[in-house]
Amino acid sequence: MSNFDFLPILPLTLTPPLLFGLLLLLGLLGGEVARLFALPRITGYLLIGVLFGPGGLGVLSRDLIKESRVFVDISLGLILFELGRRLDYQWLRRNRWLFATAIAESAFAFWAVYFGLRYFHYEPAFAALAAAIGIATSPAVVLLVAHELRSEGQLTERMLLLTAINSVFAFFSVTMLLPFLLLEQHAGWEKTLLQPLYVTLGSLLTGFVGSYLVLRFAGWLGKREDRQFIMLVGMIVLTVGLARTLNLSVLVALLTLGILARNLDFGHKLMAVEFGHGGQLFFVILFVVTGAGLRFDALPQALFIAGVYIVLRFLGKALAILVFGRLSGLRPGAAGLLSIALLPMSGLAVVLVQHTSSFFPEFGARLSAVVLTAVALLELIGPLATQFALKQAGEAGERR
Amino acid sequence: MTLEFTQSQACTTGVELELQLLKSHDCNLARDAADLLARLGKVKHPGQVKPEITESMIELNSSIHTHYTALADELRTIRNVVVREAELLNLRVAGGGTHPFHQWSERRIYPTERFKHLLNLYGYLAKQFTVFGQHIHIGCPNGDDAVYLIHMLSRHVPHFIALSASSPFYQGEDTGFASSRLNAISAFPLSGTMPFVQSWDEFNAYFDRMYCFKIVESMKDFYWDIRPKPDYGTVEIRVCDTPLTVDKAARIAAFAQALANYYLTERPKRATRDIYLVYNYNRFQACRYGFAANFINAYDESHSSLGDDLIATLKLLAPYAETLESGSALNQLLDETAARRNDSYWLREQLKKSGSLNDVARLQSNLWMGKPERS
Repeated sequence: MSNFDFLPILPLTLTPPLLFGLLLLLGLLGGEVARLFALPRITGYLLIGVLFGPGGLGVLSRDLIKESRVFVDISLGLILFELGRRLDYQWLRRNRWLFATAIAESAFAFWAVYFGLRYFHYEPAFAALAAAIGIATSPAVVLLVAHELRSEGQLTERMLLLTAINSVFAFFSVTMLLPFLLLEQHAGWEKTLLQPLYVTLGSLLTGFVGSYLVLRFAGWLGKREDRQFIMLVGMIVLTVGLARTLNLSVLVALLTLGILARNLDFGHKLMAVEFGHGGQLFFVILFVVTGAGLRFDALPQALFIAGVYIVLRFLGKALAILVFGRLSGLRPGAAGLLSIALLPMSGLAVVLVQHTSSFFPEFGARLSAVVLTAVALLELIGPLATQFALKQAGEAGERR
Repeated sequence: MTLEFTQSQACTTGVELELQLLKSHDCNLARDAADLLARLGKVKHPGQVKPEITESMIELNSSIHTHYTALADELRTIRNVVVREAELLNLRVAGGGTHPFHQWSERRIYPTERFKHLLNLYGYLAKQFTVFGQHIHIGCPNGDDAVYLIHMLSRHVPHFIALSASSPFYQGEDTGFASSRLNAISAFPLSGTMPFVQSWDEFNAYFDRMYCFKIVESMKDFYWDIRPKPDYGTVEIRVCDTPLTVDKAARIAAFAQALANYYLTERPKRATRDIYLVYNYNRFQACRYGFAANFINAYDESHSSLGDDLIATLKLLAPYAETLESGSALNQLLDETAARRNDSYWLREQLKKSGSLNDVARLQSNLWMGKPERS
């Protein structure tokens, strides 16, 4: 027996608290450096992730990224819930042109990318899946940039609403396309039909039950913001965990939770709780980890087609907003800015690509070369685009 | 510099209502005044809707009316148009003298030259000026009548305050006041009352001095409780909080109109300096306690409850309201006063029931938009 067994064994392992602290401090550093250059803080977090990630200095290895999954899930949960709460059914009901904008924005983005990729001789299934994934705007980026700028106004509200809706559309489009792919591969009908059905209905049900419990809890707690805050975070993390355990979609479950908690709250029991500083902790980690996970390895071969993908996706969204924006009451000049604000693409796309890859490894690899390269580029451009649009629209708060 | 008093028909009336724009999701103040005004600029509606000092406010103006019912109808029509357009932008609109919980530092000045100038001049006071009042214009045949009417109406300022009080909450707290809004106005250097002048010529002499000192450039620079508006040919009463409904706003205008009818027809009293000796005491009491305030009568030195004095006034005015066909409006005010129910009372009730100021803001906007909630 050694006399020195009280000393730790080298090399040191990164335990979760060490990892959490490290990611936070590195992220903070990146965020503050970004501010020096008038960049959004999240760009700073991302760049720190890229720098220390597997593609950079390698401090954050792939295993570590997996370890940090729980923090990422919590922050995605908070963001998706918050975004879901911004989807106001009453607004869509009263403003039909806004509803039309939302549908067209998703549809045009899909078709623009689809036909673009077909033109470059990608097979229909590939083009359709890539296009479906491209429908979604990054919930995390738009929400956090809006928060950071303390942005308020029509453009901000519509950006959040459209993002919530196009995220849902992206998920359902991908889910509906997968069975066709499976059929092409002669998979059994059970898997072909039941799997998407299970994921969709299961996620919706989880969100619904969650929202029911949230509202019951809120009614029981009364109008006490601090209590409701704890309850909400608890329910959100629980729903994330449940969705993971049951192999459901975290995206759909959490968006459903947010949407229903808002739109089924007839008794107005739930308060408008802000996640504030507590949420910030998780958001820093989310983006550092996202940055570490960005894939630039396919960049040289895929740069051209990823560029085409980004441009067509933008044009599709812009066309819809230019056509329907004014009719829905958007002020002149704001349509272009709103299209720019909706540029970001991120984590959600990565999840959808991984989802596809789990069924079709070879197909998934080609898909990720194109889509994940586009994601990597848009992670860098997107937050800047959103920040630019919100500032240009005059909706950013005054700097303090 | 002399101001010409435009002649107008006695006792005609018009109102201006400063209104709150709220976000649907948390009922905090929104910043969408410009977008809403742009939309309203494209649709036909009576009266006018204008910007106010911060981006969270709009001002609704009626046209000139001789009859209370026509005024009430027109206000409802404009209200409906404003609500329809606001809903397309997912905005709520509310009455009430203050927003219950907004933070003044988050407000942004509406970008016009005049408002930017006010921000420059008054600093944070300009943003704290995000309070919401009802202004009532009463037509006067000439400047001398206007000066006389202002002195007479000054006695009734506490009545207007108690009737319209709808600002119990400010910056997220119950202030204990029936109208906390007027405290925000007292901070301005040119607030207060018109000096004790006896004719339009005397008023002009005063205005000319102030103009020569370069303290003021126009009547707009005076933030008095009641001021003459020579270009409209009116007296403008500015102490009222914006009531929670347009109907209440119309009733209070009818009260002002009946008072003017009484004073200009009967000339029952002479203006005395005593009105202004008791003025600030009475005004504070009314802001703090509403109908329950102590009221000192400048003419006979008697003390009474403000509610009782108001009831006596409303009864006295009944015949003068009849000739203006606004008897029903005054009767309703009489009932409200007898029951000691004003909008501040209603707002406090809603907080008790719902438990949060977000809910209070939501309920008060439902009320103004004419969409009371299913319960």
